[in-house]
Amino acid sequence: MKKSFKSGEIFIWFTGLGLGVSLIMISGLLVLIFINGSDYFLPASVINVTKTDGTVLLGQITRTEEVSKYDLPEELKDETYKRIQLKTGNREIQGFDFIWVDERDIRETKYPEDAVVIERLEFGNFYGFIKEIKVNGKVKPDSDATFSSILTGYLNKTSNIRKEINAVEKSEIGNLNYQIEQLRLKIKKIEYKYRGREEQAASEIRLLEQQITEFDEAYKTLRHKVDSLSSIGKKFTVVCTTASGIEKEIPLMSIVRVYSPNEMTFFSQIGFIAAKLWEFVFEEPRESNTEGGVFPAIFGTVMMVLLMSIAVVPFGVLTALYLREYAKQGAMVRTVRIAVNNLAGVPSIVFGVFGLGFFIYFVGGTIDQLFFPERLPSPTWGTGGILWASLTLALLTMPVVIVATEEALAAIPRGIRESSLALGATKWQTIRRIVLPAATPGILTGLILAMARGAGEVAPLMITGVVKLAPSLPLDSNFPFFHLDRKFMHLGFHIYDVGFQSPNVEAATPMVYMTTLLLIFLVVLLNITAMVIRARLRKKYKSSTF
Amino acid sequence: MHKLKDQQGQDNNHNNKTSGRSGHRRAIFYDKAAKIIILSGGIATIIAVLGILAFVFYEAYPLWFGSKAELDTKLDASEIIVNRQPLLIGIDEYQEIAYVVTDSATIDFIDLKRNSFIKSISIAGLEDEKIISVSRSLSNYLIGVGTASGKIGMLKLNFTIRFLQTGERIIEPEAEIQNVLLVDSLKRAVTKVAYRLDYDSQPSFAAVVNDSELILYSQQRKRSLLEPTQVQEFLTTVGDFPQNSISAIELDDFCEKLMIGTTDGNLYYYSVKAKDKPVLIQKIMVTESNKTSVTALSFIIGDQTLIVGDEKGNVSSWMRILDDKSVYGWKMVRSHKFNSLSSSVTQISPSPRNKSFIAAGKDGIINVNHLTSERTLLELSAKSLPIKDVAFSPKSNGALVLYEDNSLAKFEIESPHPEITLKTVFGKVWYEGYQKPEFVWQSSGGTDDFEPKFSLIPLIVGTLKGTFYALIFAIPIALLGALYTSSFSHPRIKNIIKPTVEIMAALPSVVIGFLAGLWLAPLLEKILPGVILIFILSPLMVFGGFFLSKKIPQWMNFKLKPGFEIILIVPLLLIGIQISLWLGPFFEQVVFGGDYRQWLLSALNEQYDQRNSIVVGFAMGFAVIPIIFTICEDSLSSVPQHLTSASLALGATRWQTALRVVLPTASPGIFSAIMIGFGRAIGETMIVLMATGNTPIMDFSPFNGMRTLSANIAVEIPEAPYHGTLYRVLFLSATLLFIMTFFVNTAAEIVRQRLRKKFMDV
Repeated sequence: MKKSFKSGEIFIWFTGLGLGVSLIMISGLLVLIFINGSDYFLPASVINVTKTDGTVLLGQITRTEEVSKYDLPEELKDETYKRIQLKTGNREIQGFDFIWVDERDIRETKYPEDAVVIERLEFGNFYGFIKEIKVNGKVKPDSDATFSSILTGYLNKTSNIRKEINAVEKSEIGNLNYQIEQLRLKIKKIEYKYRGREEQAASEIRLLEQQITEFDEAYKTLRHKVDSLSSIGKKFTVVCTTASGIEKEIPLMSIVRVYSPNEMTFFSQIGFIAAKLWEFVFEEPRESNTEGGVFPAIFGTVMMVLLMSIAVVPFGVLTALYLREYAKQGAMVRTVRIAVNNLAGVPSIVFGVFGLGFFIYFVGGTIDQLFFPERLPSPTWGTGGILWASLTLALLTMPVVIVATEEALAAIPRGIRESSLALGATKWQTIRRIVLPAATPGILTGLILAMARGAGEVAPLMITGVVKLAPSLPLDSNFPFFHLDRKFMHLGFHIYDVGFQSPNVEAATPMVYMTTLLLIFLVVLLNITAMVIRARLRKKYKSSTF
Repeated sequence: MHKLKDQQGQDNNHNNKTSGRSGHRRAIFYDKAAKIIILSGGIATIIAVLGILAFVFYEAYPLWFGSKAELDTKLDASEIIVNRQPLLIGIDEYQEIAYVVTDSATIDFIDLKRNSFIKSISIAGLEDEKIISVSRSLSNYLIGVGTASGKIGMLKLNFTIRFLQTGERIIEPEAEIQNVLLVDSLKRAVTKVAYRLDYDSQPSFAAVVNDSELILYSQQRKRSLLEPTQVQEFLTTVGDFPQNSISAIELDDFCEKLMIGTTDGNLYYYSVKAKDKPVLIQKIMVTESNKTSVTALSFIIGDQTLIVGDEKGNVSSWMRILDDKSVYGWKMVRSHKFNSLSSSVTQISPSPRNKSFIAAGKDGIINVNHLTSERTLLELSAKSLPIKDVAFSPKSNGALVLYEDNSLAKFEIESPHPEITLKTVFGKVWYEGYQKPEFVWQSSGGTDDFEPKFSLIPLIVGTLKGTFYALIFAIPIALLGALYTSSFSHPRIKNIIKPTVEIMAALPSVVIGFLAGLWLAPLLEKILPGVILIFILSPLMVFGGFFLSKKIPQWMNFKLKPGFEIILIVPLLLIGIQISLWLGPFFEQVVFGGDYRQWLLSALNEQYDQRNSIVVGFAMGFAVIPIIFTICEDSLSSVPQHLTSASLALGATRWQTALRVVLPTASPGIFSAIMIGFGRAIGETMIVLMATGNTPIMDFSPFNGMRTLSANIAVEIPEAPYHGTLYRVLFLSATLLFIMTFFVNTAAEIVRQRLRKKFMDV
């Protein structure tokens, strides 16, 4: 014992404690997020709970915990009881979708085979039993064998109708609206240009107004098409009963999917998981972001990061080239280098504030005054948008790229450069043909790290153009295709918004964990790529690194 | 590399064959062009990046600009209004029309743009009377007059604004005579008046007869469920004052507080809430001696603070605070003192927009002061004549002055940030409604008369508090971990640990913040005693494991290779954590008597908030640990090998070498690691935003939250109007953050570079 103190062997274990805590923290976090995120797509069984007071509840267990001893009466203080949280859905019928049930109050539980979960477009899930299917008010045959296949068939039909309606609304009507809006702005512009002498522009304006009415006509026909489609869809309904026996007729048009978890086979579970994952990645959010997918957020994040990369790489590389290859190495360059390094440590919110004040209010405001005075006071560029957010993040990540590029440049042995110059190549030729190709992996590492940082940053984006729900993507089929002035959605902000600003936090939790999982996956993937590239690079120039 | 060289060689051959000299020239041209582009691009980027600080600073800088005023119009009213003596003036919102109340019971309107007379309205019912006293309400449009023969009049002005087709603005002034009545049956002169409408639009009119008797005329609407609403009239005499003793009176906008200033320097505070029974709440000396008379009284917008001006030119503000000793629970105290005027204060005019007011002196000097900042924004003077009246324009961007010789002067006032001084941002300020001067951040309130509170101190304290709790958690763990990794762990273990920690560093802070706020905070509230136990039990577990591991080899043929201890430590830790959580409730029972929150409240007088500093410390620690760890580990590993080898060769153990050789040599690196960690914690936004309650409080208790500078910016800047005071104050806090982190990081960087050089030399 004395010996271990003297030799310090015991203290080594003590230092290991610090490392152990860090390792447990990081792995614990990843495991926690993974477990909670998987709740999102794993189909939990539907349980039927009969309470001692006769209430019947039907739902999925979302959480189980011990009843806090403060909630127990004095004589039961020493006992431990569990309580379960049920997701009972049916929000429009009972006014809530989660309920805590105490173990002591449960008389009976069972897992009815025919219980179904109906995911709907509004009011959240429905839990209950299907009674009959109606088409145009007429009950369809209720023979067991064909029952589910009829339902599936009708659901396919209605979901196709919904898709068609969606397609018409999104692309065709969306296009029309966009064009009408453009024409309106054009009229505004002309009116602004001919202030005080409107009569000169009257014919031009009349022409434009005529076009608007034409578009309006086209819009009406499309609207008609949508209406007739939805009236067809509305004919299909399904009559369900809740656990307490209340009947409810649900139009198939508002149903996303119907499944009965209690009788799922292994393969249908896999199919369900795949469908859920597909929905998560490729569909739009519903129910104020607590259901559906996160496609617009993924799209926004990726596009923002790409725009940022376009801005950050050329300038970062130019600066690194200047600092390493052209500038005279002295006190001045050392100072600049330290300053640039330290910018990486400046809080991201400061960059956000800068982006707001400089890009949005100053640059954007000036652009609005010069080019879009007719639209004022509603701003065009003088408000948050994807371009401003990307530029802000480009500034934020600039030091990462500069430092990485500089490191890569410094790692290239002098001899290689000198032999190129000795062969008569100019400095630029040496840089272009010798230095830059050799430094490319290093630059790439810097870029990837910058992308990872950019993808995970939220604070500066919150004030430069991220929104909780963007009506349209920053890239669409309308000229000029890239709408850099548009606001966008972002995975990181999605986590903050859904987790903290959502009206129904309980319902949103699985969604937040899933989004978190996705974001971490993205960031970790980028980082690992960078690490691998860097490791290879290090090996290559092992002799010259410090 | 060979391939690249070959390529170039081919290129050169190619050039030689085809173009020869011109190729050479082109190469030189490209070389020059590239040089120019790289130089300009590089330098421009550096300037742009460094320009961020300049811009952020530049946006905050105008806070310290003073106010500006310009003499805009000067005109002689006696040329426009003949044979009548102007007594009171006022101005409309657009500063185009001035009104003048004259002694022959008329209101005259003057077009200030064209210096022309618009119209004159005589006050019906007071035609042949001589007006000797006047008052104007804060809103500028409510006027009370008193005559030499005991009558009073109540008027309301309206400025109707129309826009013509051409876009031109037409303002039409109108005066509505609301009431005229006789208040003194003896028909003595009404020497002072004060007139207000309460929230029910019922008038209260205080009139002083012969400077000695105060009569309050008021109406009150009585509402009852059964009867129709009735309006009751009251005519009450307030107090009992000696002959010629009342020198100033003021009534508040709720028609509840009546303030009376006397020639012997006293202020009488009457509550006239019950219209028929005025109650004297307090009599207090507000001037230096009983020979100095109170000459002007006025409430500031919000009616919380009374400005008192006296004969000697002193200007001070008095505010009502809670007082246990007083019968009525209130007392008046002096909250601020302003720059004195060089002569007797003749008039005090509050701003209808903010907490500024004008104090005018007998010698024609006007001071524009601001209540919160105690700052004299402007000192104006157009003529050195006594001032009869001063009026703030409704938008507070101008002031109209009436001099003894009946000339008018209009000033344009530009005072964008009157409430900001170094003291209001960094010092204690006595705000309205507070018992004492305090540091408060509360940038906006529900009402127009809200007094903004811009003290950055609670935010700075919050920032330091969050950073402190993060660092006391992170530093030991990161340092120990780095020491273990660099000095004791096997290279194979090291190759796993380092990327893992890098992944930890890359985790977006929004993820950590979300887990801290939504998962950890509610969990911690339940298991806090168990968590405290972890800190005791886990090390014990590890030490126990150590001693066991020394014994195991004798039992079994197993020996733990040095450098692989971590493989045992992690499971031991996990077991320790599990046991602690399991024992938590017992621990709580034994130490805290059943409920730790109750215990905290009774023993330490601490309220446990769910989102508190412990949560923030843990979460922000999560973000800071990998940063400190990586830099520490870097500098510890780069201690030259020959130093450690020498130490080990001399017979020192691994631990002795680490403690005596490696640590001291790398200590500057450890310092810089801690500094950089500190910098990161200061600026962290999302974690604090999500894991605290964001209340700007000033205390260091670990059981409640905080609001940091960075979270404050994120919360408030979306609502801050461009170039408004809040906007600029937030830029000021961004500048502070920038400077703090920049200095900390620079210090760390310089230390690190020195260290690197030292290692190269050794």
